[in-house]
Amino acid sequence: MSLQWSSDLEIGIPVIDSQHQRIVEYINGVELAHQHHSQKELLVVLDELVDYTLSHFEFEESLIEEAGYPFTKAHKKVHALFTRRVQGYQQRAKAGEDVTEELTHTLKTWLVNHIKHDDRDYTGVVKDNMNEATKRVKAKSGSWMSRLFG
Amino acid sequence: MSRFVWSKEFELGIDIIDHQHQRIVDYINQIYDISLKAQGTCGSVEVTDADTADLKAVLASLVDYTLSHLAFEEALMEEAEYPELSEHQLVHRQFSELIGSLKARFDQGEEVSQRLASVLQHWLIEHIMTEDKRYAELVKHKLLGIEPDKHRHWVQQALSRHFQ
Repeated sequence: MSLQWSSDLEIGIPVIDSQHQRIVEYINGVELAHQHHSQKELLVVLDELVDYTLSHFEFEESLIEEAGYPFTKAHKKVHALFTRRVQGYQQRAKAGEDVTEELTHTLKTWLVNHIKHDDRDYTGVVKDNMNEATKRVKAKSGSWMSRLFG
Repeated sequence: MSRFVWSKEFELGIDIIDHQHQRIVDYINQIYDISLKAQGTCGSVEVTDADTADLKAVLASLVDYTLSHLAFEEALMEEAEYPELSEHQLVHRQFSELIGSLKARFDQGEEVSQRLASVLQHWLIEHIMTEDKRYAELVKHKLLGIEPDKHRHWVQQALSRHFQ
């Protein structure tokens, strides 16, 4: 069954929400490839999924590190653990094993758990940091405006 | 085995860890609910294929999530320079092997889901109430900048003495 994106999966940071949504689309793509009985399609989607997920992790890690989120290292460790797992599945799929059912179940549960529990924990810190940064930029441009036009 | 009822005494005061523990409890209770449903009303145990599929899915998620939780905890301890980290890691590794082998037995067709849930339930309570309470203070102090609250501790003790 495909995973439907819904508002209860949103953490309230649009850039992260859209990345998560994209990962859900890839997971559904893996299932679709399985339904098409196309090993070739499956391997392509898996590659894309892994690549995209890794970029997302890197992005998320830099965002929380920048915001001074106190559990950045732990978050990174969980990402690394998950990456190794998915790569393991990828190897097995390349070797011709049918891992789709197990893999999509793992992906769906992991993503939903991760979003609802781990990611929501950093939302506040990251949002505060973003608001502060916006204020600083505004203050800067404000003084520049007043120097010029004041 | 009975349903795991979460209570405040299991809270460590580190939100993300408390949430992870509660998620594990949810999974344990899902196993309990599926097994209870299979037992039916007349006492006969009738595990349908659908129940087995449900159990398989929940067990996979439970084991996965627990391993992820242990990794998260170890990273926190490492960062807080918790002195008993290596002992903790050893216990975590042994425990991971235990639940991994129970899961493998279930996948081979052995009905060990209740056993796995009950092992996790006991381990979780013990783990939260002893080991976790020890590292939590250090993590709160070093990573979150929260000073150890001796007074609250004293108040809690008094409360539990007089109102339980």
